[in-house]
Amino acid sequence: MEKIEELNTFYEDKLYSILEEFEEKRKKIRFKILFIIFIVLWNLVTIYLFFIPESVKSSEIITFFIAAFAVFCTFIYKYLKKDYVKEFKQEIIKPLVDKLDENLTYSANLHISKSIFNRSMLFRFPDRFSGNDLIVGRIDDVNLEFSDIHAQKKYKDNKGRTKYSTIFQGLFIVAKFNKTFYGSTVVLPDLAQSSFGNLIGSWLQENNPNREELIKLDNVEFEKEFVVYSNDQIEARYILTPSLMEKILNFQQNASQDIYISFIQEHIHIAIDYKKDLFEPTVFSSLLNKELFDEYINSLILAVGIVKELNLNQKIWKSF
Amino acid sequence: MSITLITLVVIILILVYLYNSLISKKNQVENIFGTVDVQLKKRYGLVPNLVASVNRYMQHERELLEKITSLRAKAINPNISSDEKIRLDSQISSALGSIMVSIEDYPELKANENILNLQLTLNELESQISASRRAYNQAVTDYNNAIEMIPTNIMAKGMNYKRKEVFSIDENSRENVDVSNLFNN
Repeated sequence: MEKIEELNTFYEDKLYSILEEFEEKRKKIRFKILFIIFIVLWNLVTIYLFFIPESVKSSEIITFFIAAFAVFCTFIYKYLKKDYVKEFKQEIIKPLVDKLDENLTYSANLHISKSIFNRSMLFRFPDRFSGNDLIVGRIDDVNLEFSDIHAQKKYKDNKGRTKYSTIFQGLFIVAKFNKTFYGSTVVLPDLAQSSFGNLIGSWLQENNPNREELIKLDNVEFEKEFVVYSNDQIEARYILTPSLMEKILNFQQNASQDIYISFIQEHIHIAIDYKKDLFEPTVFSSLLNKELFDEYINSLILAVGIVKELNLNQKIWKSF
Repeated sequence: MSITLITLVVIILILVYLYNSLISKKNQVENIFGTVDVQLKKRYGLVPNLVASVNRYMQHERELLEKITSLRAKAINPNISSDEKIRLDSQISSALGSIMVSIEDYPELKANENILNLQLTLNELESQISASRRAYNQAVTDYNNAIEMIPTNIMAKGMNYKRKEVFSIDENSRENVDVSNLFNN
């Protein structure tokens, strides 16, 4: 809470004036994008109406024009906002991260590595993997890193074309865990039981071929929200103590998104499924909207807060 | 004819499935109890060490130390039943908790590195034991459900399977040990 107030004051005192400058830039970029798109659209329609012979006109040609137009728009949008995004992150997000905790380092273009993402065993191995906004640091003697991640899987649609579907997009957090363990324990949102009911849902969970043994835990609320798989049921309970289960439930409430957690190779991996790229400036809506800024600080505080929230800094069991 | 045969095969398959699921639940309970047992033995191994280290200082808790020593002697006896082991574990946990609380009253003990290490090891073991206990209780609950629910209860009766006890000690009661009750057992 204290931190939120501190960051809000920082926003009002320091960042707001910079945001006002960016707001001007944003309006110019928006105008440029819309203007170019309008001109191109105008030309395409003219070409189609007056320069393409009637005999050639067909729905395929229209589809081709629309596709070409879509590719062009995406290119123009990305090209024109590139510098604006870069500057925004340097002048708004970076100072914000520095203000949050001086032990944190922010890199706009880096992200959590694919090997760590795969190690977490939370999702299927992605075919396309990208991300940005990497934040690395040491909070209360606990190493922590997190970034935006976008992981996609390749598939063929019914016409045989290769397409990509998103398997995860959101914040991915990795931190050293405060207990020594050797197996792997995965905590996933309880989608089966909430979609298919208790009987079929739990049968599906118990017979999931992609996962290890289903672990039934002794916290009813936790069991309702999550499903746990592990290759060592005693170790799973050693990690998921009654108090940690309560803390994870709290954490999920604060995140108000689906969360995925795994404990592998002495690390805790948390994926928060925001379904969008965080810490990005807007182009078509105002930057001065306080909700946008609140989202930046809430996600930052949530990620950095796991150390205290989940007591990762209490190494009472470890003698080193 | 063939319908009768198919029905018979299906019935036999169902019976085999039920039988196997009962056996696997029973084995699961035994398997996890094995792990609990190993961890309990580890902890019992540390008890004499702890008693020897605090003996000199804790003159007022002599009775408590003697009690834990005698409980340990009973617990390491290989001939006791699982239920007896569960009962002794609960008493030893309470006694250990009391000793840990008492240590707080002796500044020279709190500062002693040997005691500190013992406390760390016992804490670590305690959290492992607690995890195994919870795993054991879950396995026993699955087993008890199976032998009481239709249709496996009929088969369990034939196999002479009996309800098993769970570890009843919970996290809170272990943390707040009532020392006065400890000697009334």
